[in-house]
Amino acid sequence: MSDDTAASDAALVRRVEAGDEAALALLYDRYANLVYSVAFRVLRDKPAAEEVLQDIFYQLWRTADRFDPARGSLPGWLLVAARNRAISRLRRQNPPADDPARLEVALPFNLESAVAQRQAMTKVQSSMQQLPPEQRQALEMAYFEGMTHSEIAARTGEPLGTVKSRLRAAVETLRRVLNP
Amino acid sequence: MNGHPQPEELDLLALGALDLDERQALEAHVRSCVECQRRLEEARGRLALLSLTAPTETPSPRVRQQLLDRIRTRPATAPARIGFRAWLQQASLTFAIASLVLFASTVWLGYANRELFRLNENLRQQIAALHESAERQRQETARARAVMEVLSAPDAVRVTLVAAQARPLPQGRAFYHARKGLVFTASNLQPLPSGKTYQLWLIPAEGKPISAGVFDPDAQGAGAILLPPLPEGVAAKAFAVTVEPAGGVPQPTGPIVLIGTAG
Repeated sequence: MSDDTAASDAALVRRVEAGDEAALALLYDRYANLVYSVAFRVLRDKPAAEEVLQDIFYQLWRTADRFDPARGSLPGWLLVAARNRAISRLRRQNPPADDPARLEVALPFNLESAVAQRQAMTKVQSSMQQLPPEQRQALEMAYFEGMTHSEIAARTGEPLGTVKSRLRAAVETLRRVLNP
Repeated sequence: MNGHPQPEELDLLALGALDLDERQALEAHVRSCVECQRRLEEARGRLALLSLTAPTETPSPRVRQQLLDRIRTRPATAPARIGFRAWLQQASLTFAIASLVLFASTVWLGYANRELFRLNENLRQQIAALHESAERQRQETARARAVMEVLSAPDAVRVTLVAAQARPLPQGRAFYHARKGLVFTASNLQPLPSGKTYQLWLIPAEGKPISAGVFDPDAQGAGAILLPPLPEGVAAKAFAVTVEPAGGVPQPTGPIVLIGTAG
């Protein structure tokens, strides 16, 4: 049991690829909270977020053979795919394809253990606290609501140039503080 | 786009914050730039960390069970749930079947292609024949109309040609209009020996005779020349028919068998 729970993401994905349901369950246990939290943050609706959660892991089950651990991290793909799917649902758009072979995500941190996840959360939340409130707000609107520059400007009533400057400054800060 | 985009532009692309035109321009560059594809993957990873700022929520345990039920009840929809070796064996069989299907398809397509080509060629020939027939009818109609114009022109010269010798039987009739042309018919002409032909001449008021063409009478001795190419506007003094070598000659050389003066 301990061997299984300590297995790497890559090893578990290979087992999922071979049809190992237990391996999928282990990955679910490892990442379900993260995936569900982001989906719920976007949708603010439990049943809808749970549906996204289940769909994402079902997609992993069906397309594990297309996932290349050497090129992208599994939790990176899970988080991006969950966020994209939840936003599509929020905006009543068709769900994105999010093919693991095409949507490669290089996560700067390892999230394979609960401890690593807690450490990463602390670091990211601390980074966000370094941003001025208006930059943080613009960043959250873009990330959790899928809004573009123009949409944020329309929502907040700020000039488009101001919104662009804020978001640019925000991502520059994140790049600086989040790089490993 | 000149050069690589700035790092923050790729961050904004990964974030999904760019409006359509900016996004499309950047995506076009990234599609063709391996370096920027790598940087975009990193940007996606960095931005994906924003998910960790979402308050932690725990899904109902029911979702896990539903997921496991779902994958058990729909195993058939999962692709390639087999090991590599088994996959290889299955792939060999699949390849063999696919090859057979491909071969049969190729043969059938080749046959179908030849049939289509043949059908196309037939249609093309039919269309060409229709065009040719329509053109021929148009020319014949135009020619008949031109003949009628000469015959019915009130100012046309009507000339009756008779045998130059005492024998009156052979006869020719010329209808000539200086602008509209010449219509000539002859009857009761003697058959000619091989290598000889009848040649019609327009004899102008001034100058040398002008050839109006050659003709060979039928078994009844009848012949005709319709609308031969002639210089326009020539006033005719007379018409004559001579016997000439086959194919005709530039100027009359043989005996005159028919002659008639205009006016």
